[in-house]
Amino acid sequence: MTTVQAGRGPILAAARPSQGAPRWRPQPLLFASPAVLLVVGLLYAPFVWTAYLSFTSYDGLNPPQWTGLANYIGFFRDGILWVTVSNTLMWVAGTILLPVGLGLFVATVTYRSRWGTLLRLPFLIPYAVSGAGVAVVWGFVLQPHGALNEVLAFLHLPGGHASLLANRPVNTVVMIVASTWQQVGVNALLFLVGLQSIPEAPLEAARLDGADGWRLFRYITWPLLRPLTAVVVGLAIVASLKTFDVVWVLTQGGPGRSSETLAVTMYRDTFVANEYGTGSTVAVVLTVIAGIASVLYLRGQLSSRRTVEW
Amino acid sequence: MGSYTRLLLAAALAGALATAACGSSSNPSAAPTTVPTGKTGGETLSLYNDKGQWKQFFTDIGALSKTQVGSDLNPVGYTDENTYQAFIKASLRTKVKPDLFTWATGGELNSLASQHVLADTSALWKDAIGKGYLSQQLEPYYTVDGKQYCVPLNVAYWGMFYNKHVFAKYNLQPPKTWSDFTTILSTLKAGGVTPMYQTSTLFTFVWFEQLLAGSNPDVYNALSTGKAKYTDQAVVDTMKLWQSEEAAGYFTDPTVKDQPQALLEKGGDGGVAMVPFGTWFNTSMTAEGQKPGVDYGFFVIPNVNPALPKTSMVFETGPLCELASAPHLVDSLRVMNWWLTPDAQQKWAGSRDDVSANPKATISDPALQEVAAAAGSGQYNIVDRYFEAAPPPVLTAALDAFGAFMVKPSTYMDQLNTIQKAADQYWATNK
Repeated sequence: MTTVQAGRGPILAAARPSQGAPRWRPQPLLFASPAVLLVVGLLYAPFVWTAYLSFTSYDGLNPPQWTGLANYIGFFRDGILWVTVSNTLMWVAGTILLPVGLGLFVATVTYRSRWGTLLRLPFLIPYAVSGAGVAVVWGFVLQPHGALNEVLAFLHLPGGHASLLANRPVNTVVMIVASTWQQVGVNALLFLVGLQSIPEAPLEAARLDGADGWRLFRYITWPLLRPLTAVVVGLAIVASLKTFDVVWVLTQGGPGRSSETLAVTMYRDTFVANEYGTGSTVAVVLTVIAGIASVLYLRGQLSSRRTVEW
Repeated sequence: MGSYTRLLLAAALAGALATAACGSSSNPSAAPTTVPTGKTGGETLSLYNDKGQWKQFFTDIGALSKTQVGSDLNPVGYTDENTYQAFIKASLRTKVKPDLFTWATGGELNSLASQHVLADTSALWKDAIGKGYLSQQLEPYYTVDGKQYCVPLNVAYWGMFYNKHVFAKYNLQPPKTWSDFTTILSTLKAGGVTPMYQTSTLFTFVWFEQLLAGSNPDVYNALSTGKAKYTDQAVVDTMKLWQSEEAAGYFTDPTVKDQPQALLEKGGDGGVAMVPFGTWFNTSMTAEGQKPGVDYGFFVIPNVNPALPKTSMVFETGPLCELASAPHLVDSLRVMNWWLTPDAQQKWAGSRDDVSANPKATISDPALQEVAAAAGSGQYNIVDRYFEAAPPPVLTAALDAFGAFMVKPSTYMDQLNTIQKAADQYWATNK
């Protein structure tokens, strides 16, 4: 019987500081202070300011007026809330399903392939393009009478005359597809690193035991990839919760707020409606959701020691 | 706490205080109460604007400014309105301040003026009106609490740009009545041509304001003062009319990404026959290589209600402003004063093939010249563009609601209720 231990790797088992008697020395604080000041000034201070603004009414010109929980109550009572939350959840589910799923597929299929690098290259190139650039390119594809409509019409398939960006949930789905085009490559690359880090011994042992193809992947490769999958999925969850650029460039959250995500709502409230207070409220809520989701997910995935036996 | 720690904390606190002190704006110096004459000190003035695509026009007028008044202009153009507005607001609290900047009239101008951050241009207005450089009718758009702020960057009358080749093919003439107009719509549709452009992004209000101002201008005006409701019968009837036109297929898909000038140029060949926009659209058309009077024309849209005494025409004007704390306060005022002269306006309007705020400037396009002259003579019932007329929170809700309506026209009552809800909230605290 072979036992494969996955989970905490060498990164988490980092060397601990020596246990000698603590002695107060100012030099470390001095050396650390530039970085600490930068982090406090550029990350913590803006967040505290944003959190403060979320309890105010502020238009960017007049001084902020303290309004207590009014913005939060308004946010949770807003009729558009369920649209933006459900769109955001679609992005989370879609991002895990498509860019992460396809990334794993591409990495697995091309790993050890003779032409692997060449096959992966087309998936990697779009990652060099910014999200806004991707959206502009996909605008030509998805717009009315755009490339996709033309192809579907030419092939006499349904959707040849459909307005893909007009109605929810179709507009969100096609934007997830556009985002997938960009994201698959980098996920494939991450999974490839994971595949390369799997030791040869358990794979060989499994092959000797008769495992092959799907069974080899399902019972050996996939469990051994688990730590990396946890990180990739965790990153995907956070990134998808923050989805903004593709949506903003393609639809600006419309028509009629139908494709708005929480991040787009944050931008709209702040910079379009000039209600910095309510925009800050959305920012705080989004941060809390992303934080909770990340902690819960990563804790669940990385904290336990997993074993695979056969 | 060790001495080093205290030292570090003290240094950090001092740094933070110094940063805060740098960020706070100094007291704005007062603008002169008389018109500054003579030439500037020769420094180049920054002109921040939300019209990035007009860079060449700003550069050209800057060259003339240098020759005539001593200062060149350095245009810093933005193409994203939200980013631009955020920058201007942030500039009030930082040292990076524009000498001159473009803005919007209506609620946007009021919000800056009420903060006392704009330079007073009352003296410039008085002088320019006296010389006939500006119309008295324009003054209210720039007046807050009895004082004038900014000067007109541009003025625009709204009507319909149309593809002349398409109109010729279907033997159509610019309409004189609403009935003529509906005949044009149905003829084009029957010929397989999409009659009109619409978009679900930003300019979603265009057809609403046109139909309502042409049906019931009093109600249209009353909406912007809170004296009429979006659920009033006149507004509901307007939306029903718009719905019937949507159902008839008279508009482009609202999510179309192609530029309207490109669509109008295409005309019947996968484009559109008409685009309802302000006269500034002429600049976009000529930049596209289209010739006014040959490839495209412009007509005033007839009233829906033929019983109205005058044809309603939507009007907009955009300001060129200066902060009271501008780096070159007096010289920027000198340039603004020069900006209003016929020489400057001839160059500014002429290079863009657009109308001018100065009645003494002539316009190259005869169709626009005719419209501007007729508007100036009181032939039309001028109404403010919805974008400036509606209070900002109501506008934000309305732009989204009209966009949603375009996709699902049957929801017109839901959309009106949504806008009215925003209006109720606004007027509850802004009487």
